[in-house]
Amino acid sequence: MDDRLPALRLAGLRKHFGRPAVDGLDLTVRRGELYALLGPNGAGKTTTLRLVTGLLAPDAGTVEVLGIDLATAPAAAKSKLAYLPDEPMLYGKLKPFEYLEFVAGLWGVAAQAAEPRARELLDWLDLSAHANELTEGFSRGMKQKLALAGALIHDPELLILDEPLTGLDAVAARQVKDLLLAHVAKGGTVILTTHILEVAERLAHRIGIIRQGRLIAEGTLAELRERTQGGSLEDVFLQLTAAP
Amino acid sequence: MMRVPGSVGWLLRHELRLGWYNAAGGRDAGGRRRPGNFVIGMAVLGCIVMHVVGWLAVRQLAGVPAGDPRILLVITAMLAVGTTFMLSSAIKTSVLVLFERSDLDLLLSSPLPSRSIFTVRLLGVCASTAGLYLFFLAPFAHAGLLQGQWRWLGIYPGVIAVAVLCSCCAMLLTLGLVRVLGARRTRVVAQIVGALAGALLVIASQLHALTSRQTQERIRNSVLELVQQNGAVDNPLWLPARAMLGEPLPLLMLAGFAAGLFMLTTASTHRFFARGLQLAASAAVVGAPSGAPRRHRFGRSLFQTVVIKEWRLIARDPQLLSQVMLQVLFLLPLFFLIFQRTDIQAQAIGAGLALLCSSLTGALALIALSAEDAPDLLLVSPASQRTLRRAKLTAAMLPVLALVAIPLLWLLMRMPAAGLVACVVVCGAVTGAGLIVFWCGRPGLRSNFKGRGKGGFVMNVLELFNSLAWGLLGWFLSAYALGQLSSFGMSAIAGGILIAIAAPVVAWLLRPRQLVSVSAL
Repeated sequence: MDDRLPALRLAGLRKHFGRPAVDGLDLTVRRGELYALLGPNGAGKTTTLRLVTGLLAPDAGTVEVLGIDLATAPAAAKSKLAYLPDEPMLYGKLKPFEYLEFVAGLWGVAAQAAEPRARELLDWLDLSAHANELTEGFSRGMKQKLALAGALIHDPELLILDEPLTGLDAVAARQVKDLLLAHVAKGGTVILTTHILEVAERLAHRIGIIRQGRLIAEGTLAELRERTQGGSLEDVFLQLTAAP
Repeated sequence: MMRVPGSVGWLLRHELRLGWYNAAGGRDAGGRRRPGNFVIGMAVLGCIVMHVVGWLAVRQLAGVPAGDPRILLVITAMLAVGTTFMLSSAIKTSVLVLFERSDLDLLLSSPLPSRSIFTVRLLGVCASTAGLYLFFLAPFAHAGLLQGQWRWLGIYPGVIAVAVLCSCCAMLLTLGLVRVLGARRTRVVAQIVGALAGALLVIASQLHALTSRQTQERIRNSVLELVQQNGAVDNPLWLPARAMLGEPLPLLMLAGFAAGLFMLTTASTHRFFARGLQLAASAAVVGAPSGAPRRHRFGRSLFQTVVIKEWRLIARDPQLLSQVMLQVLFLLPLFFLIFQRTDIQAQAIGAGLALLCSSLTGALALIALSAEDAPDLLLVSPASQRTLRRAKLTAAMLPVLALVAIPLLWLLMRMPAAGLVACVVVCGAVTGAGLIVFWCGRPGLRSNFKGRGKGGFVMNVLELFNSLAWGLLGWFLSAYALGQLSSFGMSAIAGGILIAIAAPVVAWLLRPRQLVSVSAL
C-alpha cells in the first residue's frame, strides 16, 4: 500500500435528513495521526462518522479509506477500519471472550493472532477478571472498554470513535486515551469526536471543527489559535462556532 | 379538567398516555406515537364484527334463563380459560413494570409517595389486563343494553373485577418471588411462570389425556352431576359466572373482593415495591458469573462464528426458551391422543410435526435474523451480509430439526414410507418458515422481539399459511404413503403444495431491497 495515501478522504460529502446534516464536506485525515472532529450539537459529526463507516449512504460525494472507495469496494474498505459509536455495540448475553471471538470472526482474524490479542486487550483494559461474566451486568465504562477491545481486535488501520470517553471514570478514560495513543504510535490512525475539548487539546495532532455539516476550520491547535487569536481550545471553539 | 400534578389521577393519565404511545409498537422514536392507521382500521373492523356477533348471540340467548346450569358451566369454563390468560398477561406486565420500565428511577426519586406510584402502576397492569377482554366482551354488554337485557351489563364490572384480581395476584406473586429468589432470578422465573400460566389449561388437558379411562370417566360424571344437581345455582362454584351474567349480589361480591384485594395489595406491598425496584436495580449492576471458565475457540469460519453466537444467545434467553417449550407443550396432548388412535397415527404425526416445526422455526428465525442487538457492528464489518444472514437462518433451523429428529427416526423405523414423508414435510415446513422470515423480517433490537407476532402482519399471515399448508401436506401425504388417500385428499395435496410454494414466493416478492441500519430507522 502506498504510504502517501491518506487514511481517510472525504470529497463533497452530502447527507440530508429533511435539512442538510452533512453539506459538501471535504476532509482529509493523514495516516498515523489522531484527528479530533469537533462541533456543536447537531453539527453533523456523528452523521459524518456513520457515512464513513458505511452505516449511512451519502446523497453525494465520496468516501475513501486508505485509497479504497467505500462505495465500490465496501468490504475492502471496512476491513481497514473499526468503529466505536457512543452506545457500545454489545450482546448482553455474551461474555467478553465470546464477544471478541465473534468480532474477530466478522473481520476474519486468524486464531493465532486473535486469541493472544483478545487476552492482551482484556488485560490492558482490566477486564480479565470479568471474562466469565455476561456483559449485560457490566457498568457503562466496562461496556465501553469491551467495545473498544472489539474495535481493536483486528488491529485496524483506521479507528473511528464517536464520543469514546462519555461516561468513563478517570481511570477508564486514562486507559482508553493510552490505548489510542499506543495505536497511533504503532502507525494507526484515529478519528474521534468529543465534547471534552481538553481531550482534543491534549491528544489530537489536528483538529477539525464542523458546523451545520461543513468544515469551518482545520489545523493544529497552534494554527487554530493563530487564526482566532484565541487562548484555549475552548475559546477558539466558541469563537469559531458562534452564530454569525 | 386539570388534575393536581402528582396526584394519583395525574399519574394515571400519564400512564395511560404512555400506554397509548407504546401501542405504536415501538415506532415512537421521532415518528408517530400512536398505532398506525392500518391497526386502528383493523381494530374498528374487529369491533364492528364483535358487535354483530354480540347482537346475534344476545338475541339468541334471550329466552335462556340465567340460572341454567348449562349456561353457567359454559361461562365458568370460559372464565377459567380467560383467567389463566389474564394471569399470564398480568405476570408478564408486572415483570415489565418492575424490571423494564426506565421511568421508575425518575418517579421514585421525586417527592411523590411510593404508594401513589405503586397504585398507578397496579392500575396500569389492571387496565392492560382487562383491555383485550373488554374489547371482545364489551360488545355483548352493548348489545344487551340495546336489546333491553340489562344483565349483560355485568360484563363490564365482571371483567374488570377478574382483571383486578389477576393483576393483584400477579403483582403479589412477582414481589413474592423477588423476596424469595432475588430480583435477577425473579425476572426469569416470573417470565416462565407467566408463560406456563397461559398454558395452564393445556397442561391440565394434557394431564387429563394421561389419566386412565376410568379416571376420565369419573371426572366427566362429576361435571355432569354438578350440572344436573338440584339447586345447582346456589353452588358457590357458579358465583363468578353469575356475576358475569349481571346478578347483583354475586357481582357485588366479586367487585367487593377485587376492590378489597386491590386495596390490600397497595396498602401492604407498596414499600416492598420500592424495595423490589432497588433490588432489581442492584441486580442489573452486579455482574452475573455464569458457569466455569472455558476455552474459547477463535479462528472459526465466519459462518460457524455467527451460528455459535446465535445459539449462545438463544440458549441464554429463558423467555424465548420457555416460549419454544410451550409450543411443544401445546402439541403434546395431540400426540397423546394420536397414540390412542392407531388408524391416523402417521398422518397426525406428520401434520403435528410440520405445524410444530414451522411455528418454532418462525419464532427462532425472527429472533436470530431480525432481532439483532448490535446491527451496526455487522454492517460496519467487512463480512458478507448474505453470509451473515444465511448463518443466522441456519442457526434458527438446525435446533428445530434436532428437536424433531427422535420422533422422525421413530416413525422412520416403524413406518418407513410415512416416516420419509414426515421428513420431507418437516424439512419443507422449516425451510418455508425460515425463508419467510429471511425475506420479510424487519430489523429491530432484540429487546423489542420478545414474544410472537412482532414480525409484522404480512409476515405472520404468510407464516400461518406456511404452517397450515405443510400441516395439510403432512396429513394427506402420510395417508397417501399408507395407501389411505381419498379423492378429497388429492385436492388437499394440490392445494397444500400451491400454498406451501406461494407463501415463500410472496415473501420473496415483498422482501426489502436494501439492508437498513436499525439505528437509522
